Amino acid sequence: MAAEHVAVFHNPNIGTTGLDHRKMGMWAFLGSECMFFGSLIGTYLAYKGKSINGPGPHEILNIPLTSVSAFVLLMSSLLMVLALAAVQRNDMKWGKIWLFLTAVFGAGFVGFQIFEFTHFVHLGLTLQTNLFGSTFFVLTGFHGAHVTGGVIWLLAMWWLAVRGRLGPQDSLKVEICGLYWHFVDIVWIVIFALIYLIP
Amino acid sequence: MDSSPAAHAPAAHDEGHASVQTYIRVAVVLAILTAIEIGALYVPGLPKHVLVTLILIFGTMKFALVVAFFMHLRYDNKVLTALFVGPLVIATLIILAIMALFSAFLLLARG
Repeated sequence: MAAEHVAVFHNPNIGTTGLDHRKMGMWAFLGSECMFFGSLIGTYLAYKGKSINGPGPHEILNIPLTSVSAFVLLMSSLLMVLALAAVQRNDMKWGKIWLFLTAVFGAGFVGFQIFEFTHFVHLGLTLQTNLFGSTFFVLTGFHGAHVTGGVIWLLAMWWLAVRGRLGPQDSLKVEICGLYWHFVDIVWIVIFALIYLIP
Repeated sequence: MDSSPAAHAPAAHDEGHASVQTYIRVAVVLAILTAIEIGALYVPGLPKHVLVTLILIFGTMKFALVVAFFMHLRYDNKVLTALFVGPLVIATLIILAIMALFSAFLLLARG
């Protein structure tokens, strides 16, 4: 009996599934986010072409500009996995560089979106103008808010790394931040295809 | 009862990730798919249903590549795949249901 009470190492973050709670929690959150964005995308598509006054998407959407911003966000996902790989192999110099560049690319995407929104308002499209304006701004605005949250998270991770408080033992924290970041990227892949590219 | 330290050791949360070379290859494929996706818009005379199908296929491929390689679902525990794919399927069904209710399918002509 006494042998059963020998000191055993038990990580409180590992549950009966053998998986880390924090990682499982992030995946469950991302699952709920799928339904959140699914409802917004569904609403946009349901009302597409049903505005009784302009401007409509074909008059106002700037495909070349949005293609650049979509590419920037897509490549930020590459930078994110490079940051994770660097932290995992204890190469904190490159870990810091990749984390910071990921945040910069994310901020660049948000900058594109602010420019696009401002331009649309100048062209007469606001949240109240028509069904297109309401559904477009709500959907892309919520996505932009998610990207902004991700940029803040990335900068926090970068700052921890700069202060020497992030190392390979914290790679799961970087991985979970990365999961969130890749999720905002895949949501934009869907939004870009369904809202911008499909005529 | 197995109370050995090994039995209680933290399970590896990463069953192994892709190499940096794989990440770069995936990013190149993503860039090419994006270029084709956008380029298809400028192909003169391409029927709308072909364009929509191409965009949906390439978008789905990009989505799957990011989830499988960058989010490591290809290498991770299947429980995590279920946690994500289950709600994703429900979300897709929600989109299709809303569109069906509003007679708003993409391929249908609208005024």
